[in-house]
Formats: sequence, structure tokens, C-alpha cells
Amino acid sequence: MLPLISIVLATLLLGTVGTFLAGSRARWVALGTSAVFLAEVALLLASYPGWPGYSSSLVPGFSDTETYSWISVAWLHVDYAVGVDGISLIFILLTAILQVATVVYSWGETHRPAGYFGLVLLTCLGCFGVFVALDVLLFFLFWEAVLVPMFFLIGYWGGPNRRYAALKFFIYTHVASIVMLVGLLALVFYSGATSLDFSAVYAAAGNLAPVVQTFLFLALFFGFAVKFPVVPFHTWLPDAHVEAPTGGSVLLAGLLLKLGGYGLIRWAVEVLPHGFHSAQPLLFLIAFITIVWGSVLSLAQRDLKRLVAYSSINHMGIVLLAIALDSSLGLLAAVLLMFAHGIVSGLLFMASGSVHHQYGTRDISSLGGITPSAPALSTMIMAGSLASLGLPALISFPAEFTAFLATWNGLGYWVLIPLVVLVVTAGFYLWMMQRMLFGEKKGVPLDVHDVPWYEGAGMGLLVALTVLFGILPSLLVNVIVNSPIRGWPGT
Amino acid sequence: MIVGFAGTRLGRLEWGGWVAVAFSAAAMVLGVLIAVGEAMSPGTYTNVQFTWLHLAPAPGAFPNGFSLVMGTLVDPLSSLMLVVVTVVGFLVMLYSIGYMHHDHGLPRYYAELSLFLASMTGLVLANNLLEFFLFWELVGVCSYFLIGFYYEKPSAASAAKEAFLVTRVGDVLFLLGIFLYFSVYATAGPNGGWAANGFVFVHGASPFLPLPGANTPTLTIAGLLILGGAAGKSAQFPLHVWLPDAMEGPTTVSALIHAATMVAAGVYLLAVASVFLGFTPTDQLAIVAVGGFTAFFAATMAVVHPDIKRVIAYSTISQLGYMVLAIGAGFAMVGLYHLFTHAFFKALLFLAAGSVIHAVGTQDLFKMGGLKKHMRLTAAAFAIGGLALAGIPPFAGFWSKDDILGSVYSVLGTHPDYWPFFLLAFAAVFLTAYYIFRAWFLAFSGDGPRDPSLPTPHEGPWVMQVPLVVLSAMAVVAGLFVFFPGFQNLLLGGAGLPGIPPTFTTTDLALSAVSVGLGAGGIGLAWSLWGNGRVFVLSETSAIQPVRRLLLNRYYFKVGYDWIGLRAVYTISRAADFFDRFVIDGAVRGLERIFAAGSNRLRSIQTGLVSDYAAYVVGGLLALFVMLLIVGPYLLARLGGS
Repeated sequence: MLPLISIVLATLLLGTVGTFLAGSRARWVALGTSAVFLAEVALLLASYPGWPGYSSSLVPGFSDTETYSWISVAWLHVDYAVGVDGISLIFILLTAILQVATVVYSWGETHRPAGYFGLVLLTCLGCFGVFVALDVLLFFLFWEAVLVPMFFLIGYWGGPNRRYAALKFFIYTHVASIVMLVGLLALVFYSGATSLDFSAVYAAAGNLAPVVQTFLFLALFFGFAVKFPVVPFHTWLPDAHVEAPTGGSVLLAGLLLKLGGYGLIRWAVEVLPHGFHSAQPLLFLIAFITIVWGSVLSLAQRDLKRLVAYSSINHMGIVLLAIALDSSLGLLAAVLLMFAHGIVSGLLFMASGSVHHQYGTRDISSLGGITPSAPALSTMIMAGSLASLGLPALISFPAEFTAFLATWNGLGYWVLIPLVVLVVTAGFYLWMMQRMLFGEKKGVPLDVHDVPWYEGAGMGLLVALTVLFGILPSLLVNVIVNSPIRGWPGT
Repeated sequence: MIVGFAGTRLGRLEWGGWVAVAFSAAAMVLGVLIAVGEAMSPGTYTNVQFTWLHLAPAPGAFPNGFSLVMGTLVDPLSSLMLVVVTVVGFLVMLYSIGYMHHDHGLPRYYAELSLFLASMTGLVLANNLLEFFLFWELVGVCSYFLIGFYYEKPSAASAAKEAFLVTRVGDVLFLLGIFLYFSVYATAGPNGGWAANGFVFVHGASPFLPLPGANTPTLTIAGLLILGGAAGKSAQFPLHVWLPDAMEGPTTVSALIHAATMVAAGVYLLAVASVFLGFTPTDQLAIVAVGGFTAFFAATMAVVHPDIKRVIAYSTISQLGYMVLAIGAGFAMVGLYHLFTHAFFKALLFLAAGSVIHAVGTQDLFKMGGLKKHMRLTAAAFAIGGLALAGIPPFAGFWSKDDILGSVYSVLGTHPDYWPFFLLAFAAVFLTAYYIFRAWFLAFSGDGPRDPSLPTPHEGPWVMQVPLVVLSAMAVVAGLFVFFPGFQNLLLGGAGLPGIPPTFTTTDLALSAVSVGLGAGGIGLAWSLWGNGRVFVLSETSAIQPVRRLLLNRYYFKVGYDWIGLRAVYTISRAADFFDRFVIDGAVRGLERIFAAGSNRLRSIQTGLVSDYAAYVVGGLLALFVMLLIVGPYLLARLGGS
């Protein structure tokens, strides 16, 4: 069988290098790489049980695994170990989709395009690596590799306050990474795992005493929680988003936040079930605070991008809640929700980027009635907002519905908190649309026209997927449920 | 067949109004055929479904697995609604061709209107609670688009938002209600419980309530939450505020929302829930209370309003109150019977009002007058609609409204709690007749318009007249349908659906006489105050002036809600934003400053030599390993680990 994952990594690596070297033709190289990447991801999906057309009922597990010994000294065995299961496949699909959409959307980037597109590809490469790594050190390597290109994307292509935002982003998430690394290494050493492989660590973690598991879980959780981000470790996010270029924002919200959720599921919840159980009340508390805080703060924002950023915090709070429930339905909901949020927030960040390009401002209250002059753009904003507030037949609905059902099942009336917040979420999106899209014309220059074709195409792709997966969520669900997760069918 | 029909309606995008009209005509033919088929021989239609989302059985919350399905269900309930939705939908579409011809954005209009109808059709045909909810939300968002059709108008954009948000409150309650029912029935019931079977509605008298553990507080709360959802959609007290403001949309949209789609969905939900889930007695009392009170409450606001469309809007809220009242009292089919007749005469009233607005370009009743000279057809149509609304025999409204009052009266003996709400509903009959004929006299009687600047009125083109004629005919005869055995099948068919065919006992006749008397009295009062171009002016010093102001300000509900929404919540969120920026982020920046100060001191050891840095890195790593390998195991031993 083809070592598909290594082929994908090689593609992305070659593509990145090629893009950096391609000068003014960088966007073509980037687009070609993204297309090949997407095709390879499709191959990966097609060979995984659960995707339509795949009839055999294979016992779920990691597929396409590759293991090569990498570093092997006396007591330290580091492998190049990669593989995918249903959950990581969903995130890989998301990575490929967002990469294509970002490259297309940024087609008009003229400011050092080679560097820009190269960094976009490098970010996606890092994310892909995180999603396939099945070795502690490899995982950490990719994890850190994501930070660097994002740092430069914000710091070089960003807004006026980019240096501050980039540094804040880097230091904040880097501190979290260090804590996470300590946690991961401690996990390996204390559990007596024979290698740094996921399966070895997974098997050995059972040896740990519950108290130790709790401490380790908290260390890992801190590392992942900053990426999430959860209140009160969230303040890097709005700053980073406001300053980041549009493509950077899309990847930041669409992929980087998902690293936190994915890491939490794969490396903390799955590996340290006892630690997870004792930390559950804390997770619930943080999740509820994050949900309420994100939504209430969105209402107060005047900058469209800040509004979307805070709504991301709200959505990631629901994800944390769903993970914390420790039920198969909750985990399914969390993964679906992260996928949905990746697509929808990507769309919304693109739309706010376009608003900025067209009108020179993202200040909601200084704009008004932009629909007649830019019908396509305002359709995109509407589609994104309606998807984000959970309209049926769009992608977030099945995810949020499942999340709330799981919450109800696990926590009973506590589900009222996210449900009531749902009204606030609808409120701030509708209010934003009322002020910015409808009503009397305000702040619209005379010579303004609708978005350029490439921006429209990038957003259009995401809108189409929002509708497709909203109507057929089972495409995703059938893949997700075939994952080797504790207590899931077939394991 | 049915899926194909729903599918074509969902899947297409039309570029001309006529395409939309053609499709809705096809839908109407199909809808009526289905209903007739169901009426003649119940159970003719095969219901189809497919699985939308499935989780295999596994230990844990859902031992029998978990399914969400999409499917159709044709039964007396849904076929009755199907007729309403498709017929009224078609007529409104046709009327739009004339009414909307001078507006821009028509492809958008017809696409949204078609989606609106398609969603409603989907809702009516849904065979399970989740599919119902899905279409329910779609109906909501379509109404959001259509109410905000004139989005350049700030008031329209605001009304659209308000409609969406208020119904969203109801939706959240509804969703929680679904969860509650779900928690009771998820694993109980036939074939491994509701979760495994995709929440599908199952026939058989209220199949769920008799389950063990039923009739518990949980079910009562669930029923109340369903009521909350229905109240949001059907604009029942206290979530009624959005409907009058929804008049910002085109009149055709108002007609559709009021007659066949949006608000009907709430009543339909209550009917479906009462048939398939069952309500506990407490729920029933609450539903009766909401319905009876709303019937009266909304009618009072209609009495003073100067805007022709808003008067009709309040009358819708009030009429919906009657339907809710009937369903609460246990007569779901009687409620739907009223919904059926109401759809026709309410659509008629709106389309007639639309003709008036089309002709004179204003909605202010006090500027109109004497229109019947130029618009005979419209005047007659509005009068027929008014008579039907006022419950004057033999017009449609009489039969169904009397059926409601009679049915509720028949259970008053066993449920004395219903008395006050029955009386309120009865009193509303008088108000109804008064306000609708006040509107008629103001608009149509007299010598000429009170505002001389109005253009000379004229009738609309034939596409606007045909729906008026058809709806007028229906408003006259729809009530009589109940005497046909086929229609009775719809109303009474299906196991255990309570309904009452009109009977002519002494009690019935006496009740009818009183209600017709009240109606006639209302018309008489309207004539004496407003007839022949008279304008009744309440003196400024009158003792009921404060009452009038209270009514004109809609009991200050809107002011209160706006205050909660804009002032309270927004202020809190601004405060939270301040806290976020200066306290949470401030703490982060404070840490930054401390580290910056610390690093200044450390700068002395930054020699710039690579070997030194390498030494630090190695030292740091060593410290890490020492911590992990020596301190860790020590702690581990203390904590009693491996």
C-alpha cells in the first residue's frame, strides 16, 4: 500500500519550498500544491471505512499507518509514526479545504506573494502534521512548526499593530506549548512507556495513579486550552485576529484553534481517562464561562473581525463542553462542531477581510446599507452569519443540535446556559447585519464595487460546503464514528 | 411521489414570477389531490423515509442506537394543512404578479417566497419531531428574509430582526422541550425507543403519555416548553410583539405569514403535539389560558389602531388565540378546522387590504374613505372577509369559531378552570366584529378620501382580482365543508383525534345566538361610530383616554422588550468588554511588564557568545530532566503511584 501520508507531507513540503522560490508565480505553485493535496486527502478518505462507497465493515482503527525508527538511544525511542483515524481525517479534510479556499481568496496578494503563499502552505503543513502524528515528539515538532509561519504572517502582512499582536500570539501559545511538552514528557517517563509512540503511551498510561493522571491532564489541558482558547486565556485571539491578514485569520480560526481541540481529544482525554474524569467539573465550569463570555462580548464589539473572533471563542466553548461530557455523542458533536466552525469562521473572516478591502474599515457602526452596492459580499456575510447562528440545512446545525442533545443527556438542565446564549448569538449576528448590510447607505464610497472574483470564489467554495454538509452531515458522521475511541461502537 | 413533490419545490431557483406561480400551481394540484385522496380513503399514501444520521447501538446513553430520519407522513392532520398551505400559497403567488410588478429584486422575492412555501410544506409533511424542528427554523428564516424584503428601510430591517429574535426565544424553548420528551422516551417505547427510531410520530391515541413514568412534572414542563415554542411562532402572549411589526414586509408576505405559513406552524405544532405526544392537564390549562387571554388581549389592541394592515395583524393574533384555546381544551381538530377557514378569510382580508394599498399608496385608515365607489370588488371582498371574521352565518368563520366555543363549553363542566378564558374568548367576538368593521367603514364608506392628496383609486389587474374572487368564494363556503363526509373524515379520521361535527342541540343554538348577537352588536357599534364617513373622535378629556393610549402603545410590551434587548443586555456586554480589555487582558499585560523588568536584569548575562547560550540551553534541559526524573518520582512515591 502506498505510504499516502508521507506522500502528502512530501507534497506539502515540496510545494512550500517551490512556492518560496517561485517569486511572482508563487500563487500558481500554491494552487497546484493545494489541488494535489486535496486530491490526496480524497484518496485517504476514500480508503477509510465509513466514506460512501466503502462497503466492508472494517474494524475501526488507525489506518495508513507508517512507523520508522527515528532516534533510538538507550531508553529513548522516537519514531516517525503517522496514521489517521476518522477524527483526524475530518481535520485533514478541513485543512485541505481551507488551504484551497485561502489560496484562491488571496489570489490578489501583491505584497511579497512568494513569502505569503509559502507561509500559508507551511502553516497547513504543520497542521496536517499535528493531525497525523502518532508519536509524542513528532506531534510536538509539528505543533511548534505551526507557530512560526503564523508569527510571520501576522508580523509581516498584518495591520498597524502587528508586531505587538504577533509577539503576544507567539509568547502566549509558546508558554502553553512548553507546559504541554513537560506534561507529555512526564507522561512518557512516569508511565514507563517503552517508546514515544501513541499506542505505547496509550497502553502505559493506565499504570499511572489517578492523582498523577490528574496533574498530567491539567498540564496538557493548559497547553491545549490556550490554543482553544478558553476564558481567561483568550485575550491573544482578538488581537491576533484584528491584526492578522485575512488568510492568516482564516487559518488561525479555522485550523489553529482546532489543534487545541484535537490535541485535547487525542492526547489528553483518550490517554488519561482518570485524570479527565477528575478534571471534568473544572472543564464544565470553564466551558460554560467561555460560552457565555464569548457571546456576550461579541455583542459589544464594533469591529467586525473582533465580533467574529469572540463568536469563535463562544463556539469553541461549546466544543469544550461537548468534549467534557465524556460521551460518544458529545465527542461526535465536538468534532462536527470544530469542522463546522472551521468552515464557517473561515467564511466570516474572509468576508470581513473583503469588507475591509472594499470600504477601508471594519467598524460596524460606521457602515450601513452595503447590500445594494455589494450584493455578493453581503450574501456571503448573511450566509456565514446564519450558518454560525445554527440555521438548519447549514453545517453548524447538526453539530450544535448533537452537542446540545449530548449536554442535555449528560448534564440535564445545565443545557439552558448554551441554549439561552444561542439567542444572544442570534442577536449579535442579526444586529450586525441590520446595521451593516441593511438600512440606509452609510460610509459607502461612490466608486465601490462588489468583491473581486477570486475573493468571491474562495468564499463561494465555503458557502457551498456549508450547504452540502448541512444537508448531508452523515458524510462526516460516518467517518468520525469509525474511530478507535474508548467506548465507541466496534472498539 | 410526495418526496418528489417536496423535492422539486425545494430544489429549484426561478427567474420569473410565472415560473414560481406554475410550480406553486402544480404543488396546489398535488396538495389538493393528496388531501382528497386521504379524505376519501384514509391511509392511501405510502410514507417514505430515509436515514439522515445514524449511530450504531453501543453501551452508554443510547444502548439501542440513535437515528435521525427524514420522512413524510400523510394523515388527516397534515393533509388538511397541506390544502391550506398550497392553495393559499398559490393564490398569493398569483396575486404577487400584479402587486409586486413595480418592485425591484423580484427574483429574490419569488425565490424566497417559494422557499417559504417549500419549508412550510416540509414542516407539514414531516414525520418526526426533529425534521419538524428543522423546517420550523427554515420557515423562521424565510420570514426573516421576507419581512426584511425592503431592507433599505431601517424599520423593515429592524422588524425582520425582531421577528427572528422573538421567534428564536420560542425556538429555544421548543428545542428544550424536544430534549425533555426525548429524555423520557429515548429508550422507552416500541422498537428500542424513540432515539433508535428517529423520533418518528406514531399513530395511536397519545401513544406516549400512558408510558410508565408518564404524566410526571418532566412531561408537564416539556408540554409548557412546546407551548412556548408555539407561542413564539404563532405570536401568542407574551411573544406576540413581532407580528404587528412584521407588517413592514410586502402585503402579500403578510397574507402568507398570517394565513398559511409562519403563524400556522405554531398552531400546527400544538395540534401535532397534542395528538402524537399528549399534554398533561396542567399543560392543557396553560394552553387554554394563553389562547383565551391572547384572543381577548390582541383584539383590544386592534380596536384603536389606525393602520389597516396592523388591525388585521392583531386580528390574526386574536384568532390564533381561539385555535390555541381549542387545542388546549382537547379539540385539536376543531382548532385546525378554524385554522382552515381562517386561512381563507384572513388571506382574503390581507389581499383586499393589499389592493387598497396598491391603489391609494397609504396604509393609514384615516386618510382613506369612500373607496367602495371605485373598488367595488375589493370592498365586497373585504366585507365578506370581515363577515367571516366576525362570525356571521353562513360565512366560514361562523362555523369554525362556533365549533370552538361550543367544544370548549362542553368541557367547562369537568374543567371549571377554563371558565375565565372561555368568557374572554367570548367577549373577544364582540371586539372582533367592531374593529374589522371600523376598518371597513373607514376605508370604504363615505364620499371620498379624507386626505385629498391620495391618487384616484382603481382596481388591480386580473391576477389580483382572481385570487380575491376565489378566496371570497372560499370564505363563504369553507365552513360548510364540514357537512361533507369526506371532509369529516379529515377532521375526525385517524384514531382518537377529538373533533366535533356541528350539531344543532339547544345549547349549541343558544351559544350561536349569543355569539352572533355579539358579532352583530359589534358591527352595529362600528356603524354608529364610523359608518357613512363619520369619524368618531374621542375627546381629550375623556375618562378612557388613558386606556386608548395604553392600547396604542401596545401595553408597552415593545418598549419593555426593546429596553431589555438594547439597554440592559447591551450595557452588560459593554461592561463585560471593558472587563475583558482591562482586567483579563490587563493582567496578561501586567505579567508581560514584570517579565520585561526581569529580563532587563538578566540582560547582564546575555553575553552574545553562542557557547554561553548553548550552555544555558543545555542547563535548562538538564534542569527539566532532573525535575522529571528525580523530583517527579519522589512526588510519585509520596502520592502513592506506581
